[in-house]
Amino acid sequence: MLAQQILNGVALGFIYILVSVGLTMVYGVLKLLHFAHGVIYMVGAFAAMIAITYLHLPFALAILFAMAAAALAGVAVERIAYRPLRGAHPIATLISGVGVAIFLENLFQVIFTSDTQAFPETGVEVSVIQLTESVTFTNVKLFIILAGLIGLGLLYAFLKCTRMGIAIQAAAQDMRAASLMGVNVNRVVSVTFMIGSALAAAAGVLVAWNFNALFPTMGAIPGLKAFCVVVLGGLGSIPGTIAGGLILGIVESLSDGFMTGMVVDKDAIAFVILILILLVRPSGLFGKHVEKV
Amino acid sequence: MDDLFNPYYVDIVVFWMIYLLLGLGLNLITGYAGQVSLGHAAFYGIGAYTSVILSVKYGWNAWLSMAAAVVVTFLISALFGLPSLRVREDFLAITTLGLGLIAQSFFKNADITGGAYGIDSIPAPSLFGTPLKNTGYLLLVTVVLIVAVVIMKKMTGSRIGRAWMTIREDETVAQSMGINTTYYKVLVFAIGGAYAGAAGALFAHKVSFISGESFGFTVSATVLSMVVLGGLSSIFGTFFGVTLLYMLPEMFRLFEFELVDPKYLDTYKMMLYGILMVLIMRYRPKGLFGKNGTKLVNIRRSAVKTLDKGGDRVA
Repeated sequence: MLAQQILNGVALGFIYILVSVGLTMVYGVLKLLHFAHGVIYMVGAFAAMIAITYLHLPFALAILFAMAAAALAGVAVERIAYRPLRGAHPIATLISGVGVAIFLENLFQVIFTSDTQAFPETGVEVSVIQLTESVTFTNVKLFIILAGLIGLGLLYAFLKCTRMGIAIQAAAQDMRAASLMGVNVNRVVSVTFMIGSALAAAAGVLVAWNFNALFPTMGAIPGLKAFCVVVLGGLGSIPGTIAGGLILGIVESLSDGFMTGMVVDKDAIAFVILILILLVRPSGLFGKHVEKV
Repeated sequence: MDDLFNPYYVDIVVFWMIYLLLGLGLNLITGYAGQVSLGHAAFYGIGAYTSVILSVKYGWNAWLSMAAAVVVTFLISALFGLPSLRVREDFLAITTLGLGLIAQSFFKNADITGGAYGIDSIPAPSLFGTPLKNTGYLLLVTVVLIVAVVIMKKMTGSRIGRAWMTIREDETVAQSMGINTTYYKVLVFAIGGAYAGAAGALFAHKVSFISGESFGFTVSATVLSMVVLGGLSSIFGTFFGVTLLYMLPEMFRLFEFELVDPKYLDTYKMMLYGILMVLIMRYRPKGLFGKNGTKLVNIRRSAVKTLDKGGDRVA
């Protein structure tokens, strides 16, 4: 039972990591809380549905299509809602992000109705892997973990080995200095949004597939939980985000299995953690030490 | 007296006034004191549930339970304000959002709030033996609203209001001028929350059935967009913002325009709110009737500030 819950928690944790990495990178570069990130996750899941149902793409290509569509959406959100406000007060950007999130969520409700729909047939059979007598695992969850590892590996290689990756790191350290060194800051920001949105979209597709459910508000809770993961791990720190995602995934999964009859449901645990961390240790587990945020 | 007006119109006006109360409370917290709250619906819900639990489960008089709701919301909101001492600006917004979601989760799961079923058959307050319905209730809400506006005018024009505005402009300056920032920040959450609590109590005794669904993030976001549109730290601005954003969708419902499918009216409404929030932040961050000096617009100063911090928020 315990091993089973932890295994489920790890799979869930990788979903949180994929969603949160984008948020961490955006915060690292722009010092901005990207509120519309959860909506991008939802856009990704719907894009995959369109790719499979209407374009008849195979599942692997549909995921890539979803990532590309979400990357475009992410860049568009940045252009429309965040770039004109750069240098303004953080609250102004946050409210602008909330506005975009509300708009897109409701736009999708108008287009696709607010009902939950089933994820289309992917051509990949869902099978159960029997690890030991009591511990089972579905191949979907295995794919989630694999996708998470591949995504993180590619991200690591990109940040360490390409010019653009190094430019992103430079901008995250000191944006003004980076721009003085000839880094095209606007392009760095766009690429950051692209990568983050693509990873979130991958998570969205996998979750929609795993639960066989697709609805316009599906991004709201994961998008908010991503804030918890980011704060838990330390703002702007990618290793911290990985640790934070796994911790949150495992804690939620354990509470799901072992705690019943709580006064709040399991989605609220993340916010309890968030508030405790902000009050007790605002720098998170791996972040640079800060007094207050 | 109850037949004086069409109950449907009365309902619209009552709910408009309830939103005004919510907006005024949020404007105190976000507009005057500069503490952004994305969890205003929690205060609204706490007010509603307190009054309902006291009157339905403990058999209190509706008047007494409504008054108690305001007091309880005042106290709980002060607790909700505590994170604002540690957390600033955008992180405060996320924290209050989290608190709001925790509160809603509590409403939906705890036994005392009726869980997912909510609580029904909430009594209406009665005056001289006749329960207040329609026009009577409208009068009650109007009186509460007038009292709320008068108190708000008094407060914001006094020492308290000036302290809040100083904190909003620059907390360090406020501290060095001898303003007890801890006290005033907690106070503004308590008072702003009490406004929302009053709104919640009035809402609950009007609709006679409440469930956790009525106090979600949608309400918080709606009220915030109303306040932001009308203008931060302006009472008239709040009136304008609430009236415009509340009445516009009602007009569509009232006159049954063929323009939009009524089934999706709420969705279109939220789309409109979203677009307005983006546009207002871009072109007029202080809102249509906001007062000068709100730091949201002070782009130049924040650019100067970032210089000292090593260029955090530039380019």
